[in-house]
Amino acid sequence: MKKVTILLAVLLVCVAAQYSHAGETPKRIVSLAPNMTELLFALGLGDRIVGVTSFCDYPEAAKKKPKIGGMSNPSLEAVIALKPDVVVMTVDGNPKEFEERLRSLKIKTFVFRAKRLREFPQGIREMGAVLGAAEKADVLSGEVEKTLERFRTARQPAKKEKVLFIVWPEPLIVAGPGSIADDALTLLGEKNISDDSRTSYPKYSIEEIIRRAPDVIFIGKGKGMERVSKGLLQRLETVPAVKNGKVFYVSDYLYRLTPRTVKGLEELDRYIGRRD
Amino acid sequence: MKTKLVVIILVPLVVFGLSLVLGPKIINPFAMDETSREILFSVRAPRSIVALLMGMALGASGAVLQGILRNPLADPYILGISSGASLSAAIGIIMGLTFLGSFTIPVLAFAGAIFTGSLVGVMGWKRGGLWPERLLLAGVGLSFLFSALLMLIMSVSSDEGLRRATLWIFGDLSMSDWSRIPFGLIFVLGGMLLSMARAKALNALILGDELAHSLGFTPHVERFFLFVSVGLMTSASVSLGGMIGFIGLLVPHMIRFFAGSDSRALIPASAFMGGALLCVADLVSRSILPPMELPAGVVTAIIGSPYFLYLLRRRNVLSV
Repeated sequence: MKKVTILLAVLLVCVAAQYSHAGETPKRIVSLAPNMTELLFALGLGDRIVGVTSFCDYPEAAKKKPKIGGMSNPSLEAVIALKPDVVVMTVDGNPKEFEERLRSLKIKTFVFRAKRLREFPQGIREMGAVLGAAEKADVLSGEVEKTLERFRTARQPAKKEKVLFIVWPEPLIVAGPGSIADDALTLLGEKNISDDSRTSYPKYSIEEIIRRAPDVIFIGKGKGMERVSKGLLQRLETVPAVKNGKVFYVSDYLYRLTPRTVKGLEELDRYIGRRD
Repeated sequence: MKTKLVVIILVPLVVFGLSLVLGPKIINPFAMDETSREILFSVRAPRSIVALLMGMALGASGAVLQGILRNPLADPYILGISSGASLSAAIGIIMGLTFLGSFTIPVLAFAGAIFTGSLVGVMGWKRGGLWPERLLLAGVGLSFLFSALLMLIMSVSSDEGLRRATLWIFGDLSMSDWSRIPFGLIFVLGGMLLSMARAKALNALILGDELAHSLGFTPHVERFFLFVSVGLMTSASVSLGGMIGFIGLLVPHMIRFFAGSDSRALIPASAFMGGALLCVADLVSRSILPPMELPAGVVTAIIGSPYFLYLLRRRNVLSV
């Protein structure tokens, strides 16, 4: 027993050593992903952000921050020039090599590893702990957990609706297994008809949609999406969802893990409608 | 010769039939339920017809182009037409342009293709006519320019836009529906008829301008009409479904091996075989990993390249 305790203690020290600045609030943060920027703002760290990507557009204040390039191709020079105390990255979109480069230049990084809905609260807590915003992170992750739990228990419909979540109509890309939209549908107790694909955002077959006959279709909002999707919906007119007018345009909150993801979940719930 | 003719006409028909029946799930055409009928008539049939049309356009224009450029390496994309089309389509996709609904991207691609084709024509024009070397170099130069611009746009665009544009560029037949077919049909058939009407002249051009002249053809005029036919067919094909590699290069060589190099037979035969090859490639691309789909262009190149290399080994020289 004693040995185990010592071993655990050693492990803890190792983990703590990895984040040598744990608990201490970094003064200059660079964010390499829109959802990380959003999360940093939600944790009250917005005024410490000194650099964001060109695609960080939420909240409004993020647009005014200096830009360091895109998510998959950030500029190393621009990041270094900002002299960050820590660079916040995600495994969902940032190149791994970039993190290695930063580390070789002795720049601290925090990598947000959560990709799935259920990993999100833990991800927020880790981020809070490393960036010295543990209290706010606890509150936020608690709220997220509570909402997830509420849906998990409240929604266990007797008959699962067959749902398709379209990310883009032409070429047809849908939310497959491992995507947040898929997690959301599972949590709501519904069936994502594309959950047997091999990637999280597969290019999907139209004839499979017709064959699997979804009861509800969600289409992620985008500029002019109603018009772009018109052709596709015409071709799917025999599918129950289209026949019964159960095609809904929803926000893009479910594409990446952000505090707004919960709202995306509520939106799906509202549209599918309670039958119990 | 007669059996060859029958084979060349039968192969695309059989392939077309198979592409309707086979797929992620086999449909028995004699016992169809409502869903299967829907899938067969409004998903598979238009898609296979578009594949046939695109493949025909690419095969025929490859055959014509190898002749007018007197170059066995020529394919319809060497003139830069496809890179112009890809550039304008990618701009449309990445900027999310939707002014014509689901016709937006095909129309943009067609406009880009025609514009590039005309530009190549203008640059290849000197002393009252089109010159093969000039055309070729203008095409190569422009396609470098447009590919660079395409890279530029793609490197500053968001990841989602990037993926959509990439999927389109590698050939996307999944959006083919009946509404696009009439337009494709007009341009592809128009181009094919034009090139077939000039097939005799093409035979003469391959022998060289002087011989063509002494055979009673005006090389520059003939080359102009043939160039226009290639431009029409290639533009229509790119706008129907993006870039499908290899058919335009490979199929004419296959046909020469099989049925000789008389353009009067070569052009229609390359068209039929091109259509059949793309139809097969599309069938494979949508059936191999259901419910996912692969880009058809990738499949044509994977099927086509080894066969091409095999031909290359068997014959000492590939000629036009």
